[in-house]
This record gives sequence, C-alpha cells and structure tokens, in this order.
Amino acid sequence: MRKRWFFIASWLTLSVVGVGHAMAEGRPSSNDTPQLDDGKKVYRQYCASCHGTQGEGMPNWQQQNSRGELPAPPHGPEGHTWKHSNAMLYRIVAEGWRDPWNKTDRLTMPAYQEVLAPSEIRDVVNYLKTLWTQEQRRHQADESEQAPFPESSVATPE
Amino acid sequence: MYNIKSRFLRVFLLAGLVAVSLGSTSTALATEEGLLSLHYDVTGKRLFKIEANQLFQRTDEGMAWNAIPLPEDVTEGQLLAVSVPYTDSQTLYIAGTSIGVQRSTDNGETWQELSANLPSREVTALTVHRRQDETLYAVIAENGIYQSEDAGNTWKKMDSGPSQKVNRLVHSDMEGSMQTGWLYAVSDDAVRLSMDCFCGWRPTGELDAGSVYDVAYSLDNPKRVYVATQQGLWRSETGGQEWQPVAGDGTVLVALTLSPKGTLYGLNQKGKLLHSEDEGQSWTYPDA
Repeated sequence: MRKRWFFIASWLTLSVVGVGHAMAEGRPSSNDTPQLDDGKKVYRQYCASCHGTQGEGMPNWQQQNSRGELPAPPHGPEGHTWKHSNAMLYRIVAEGWRDPWNKTDRLTMPAYQEVLAPSEIRDVVNYLKTLWTQEQRRHQADESEQAPFPESSVATPE
Repeated sequence: MYNIKSRFLRVFLLAGLVAVSLGSTSTALATEEGLLSLHYDVTGKRLFKIEANQLFQRTDEGMAWNAIPLPEDVTEGQLLAVSVPYTDSQTLYIAGTSIGVQRSTDNGETWQELSANLPSREVTALTVHRRQDETLYAVIAENGIYQSEDAGNTWKKMDSGPSQKVNRLVHSDMEGSMQTGWLYAVSDDAVRLSMDCFCGWRPTGELDAGSVYDVAYSLDNPKRVYVATQQGLWRSETGGQEWQPVAGDGTVLVALTLSPKGTLYGLNQKGKLLHSEDEGQSWTYPDA
C-alpha cells in the first residue's frame, strides 16, 4: 500500500515538474495532448498531401517549379514555419497564400476558413510546433507575444 | 631539354605574377569601395556620406560636406553604415566592424553604444525599418542578422543570413511580404531578398554585371529598384525579379541612394558625389 502511494506521489511530482519544464521551453504541454491529436488528424487529412506526412515538404521547395510556383515548404526545423507568429500562421491557413513572385495567380496554399473551424486551425498550427526544436519553439513563442491567435480560435473551457 | 624546362619555368612564374597582381588589384578596389557609403535622410532632406572612416552630411541643395563628430572608438574600427529613421532626423545610427552599432539622438553631438546585446561588434551592414523608426536590422559577420524593436537597446537573432558576406542591407516596404516588408542584402556577387520574417533568401533576377555595390529603391514605388554594379546601373520595375541595364553614360557608382523626389545620388570610386534627374541615364556633379 505504501509502495503504491509512493509511486503515485512520484508520478504526480514528475508530471508537474515535466509540464512546468515544457512550458518554460515553449514546448506544447501534456495538457494539450487531445488538441495536438486533433491537430495531427487535421494535418494528415488536409495538409500532408502537399507538406508531407512528416512535414518534410516538397522536393526543391526553395525554387520555383516548372509552373513558376514555389512548392510547399517543409514544416520541420529545416523550414521557416517556426519564424511566423501564431497570428500569421493562423492567417495563412485561414486565408491561403501565394508567393508574390509566383508566375501564376492561384493560391498555392489554399484557404481553409470555409473548411476548418477556427479551433481546428489553431490545433493544426499547435501540432506543427511539435516538429520544431526547443529553440525554434521559444523564438516562435516570442514572435507570438504581440501577435497571438485570434480570440475566435481559442477554445472555451467546458 | 634545358630550354623547354627554362621556358616552362618562365611562363609559370609569369603566370603566377599576373595572378598575384590581379588578385591584389581586385582586393584594393574592393577595400576602397567598401569605405564609401551614401544615405538619404528623408525627413532632414540631407545626404550622409561615409568616406575614409568619417561621416559627412550635406543638404540636398547645399554644396559642402560637413563632418559629423563621431565616437573616439570609431578610429579603432571600420565605419561601414549610416541609417536614419524615416520620421526622426535627429537620430542617427552608425555601424561597422569593431564599432558595433552606435546611436546619436542629437545629430552626432553625443553617441551611445548599442552592442551590449549583440554577439560581437563586427557589424558589416545596418538598416532602419522603412515604417518603424525603432526597428533596426544589423548584420554580424560570420553570425547572422539581428533585429531590434526598441531602437537598438536589445537585439534578437532572426536569421543566419545569406551565406555570402553582406555589405549593404536595405529595408523596403514593398507589398507582398508575409510580415511588414522586405530586406535587400547586397553581397559582392548579387543582390538577395528576404521578407522581413526571414522565411528564406531568394536571389534576385539575373544580373550579369560583375561586382555588385549598392541598391536603392523608389519610396513612392518600391517595386522600382536600382542596383549599382561594376558595369553600371541596372533597374528593376518588379522589386528585383528582373533587371535591365540603364542605358546611360557608363558612369560606375559604388554607393547609391534615392530621394523621394526621384533624384538618384551616387558616389564614384573617388568618393565624388554625382546625381541624376533622369532615372540614371546621365550623371552630373552637383558641385560643378
């Protein structure tokens, strides 16, 4: 009986320390796990076909392809997704994007605001953060201080 | 056999001498050109020139260059850049190798060092944001590009920068950026461009014009960009996507800037000021 309480107490202590440590480093905490799972599902369904199941992006993503368009970039440490604030990433997913130097007018990154709920957009952006290094997460968290997610995307506690 | 060996040796030595002299010539030119810089202060309607480690100013209608007092430690380094906020002409920023970034808020009467938060004082280029007076970008040699959003008091590394050494950095408010604008980085071989979120450096259009010295853009129409090269002036109407040589009098400029009225100002290799009222086709000495 004593042993069981010892294990429970240890697990609780380690969990609290771990979550605190993760928050300090800008790492998504275990409290976010259901949302991260939701974000991963959204990513797999809508994003992976262009950006890769592991977020690896398209080959030669830094050069225009034969259509004169920049291919989908990777979302991992080698890409630049981590350089954008939450507000900017939300906007890109919601409203879409095309590089201004593309030779075509179409949105190469489609707009998902008619497809995804605001909370789903936020979840998928938060999932992308799991692909970054700790330093990149810290940088992105700093950038997001002045440019957070729109309030409409913040899930209301049940 | 001896003759063949002797001839081979002579040719080899001669080729070596030519190679060494060519190399030293190009180094000397690059060094001389690196000393010169030109910047137009929109609010104060004046020009700044860096020459021989000194900073000079003159109004765009004036004739004489007046020296601005600099901090003593500038003599220990190499002054490379001057930049002025777009709505505050009393504040000057200077930067250079072994100088770091320094600021004066009284037009050069007093200076304050701003490098405490930077990894070194080896700054090769500096620019102020086109729309945000307190946002600065500094290139640290062999390190990367740092941004300050509080007039240089604190800095944050934003990017490793292009792999080539950056000699000039210019912020533009040209449309199309994910963030607030763009940064032009001038290296010896090319002009490169990045959105100011630093999501990748892209080469600008083909520019087969030898060494590249400086870049300037039109404040009214930021897509119009000029670049000064070893083979004269080139212009783009697309922010640098394509370049066309400016058909002109062949004047070579090593520093370039543009007034809001559209007057182009440049420095030749001797540091003499020239200006052009016809988009770079002809150049004259305003002092003449």
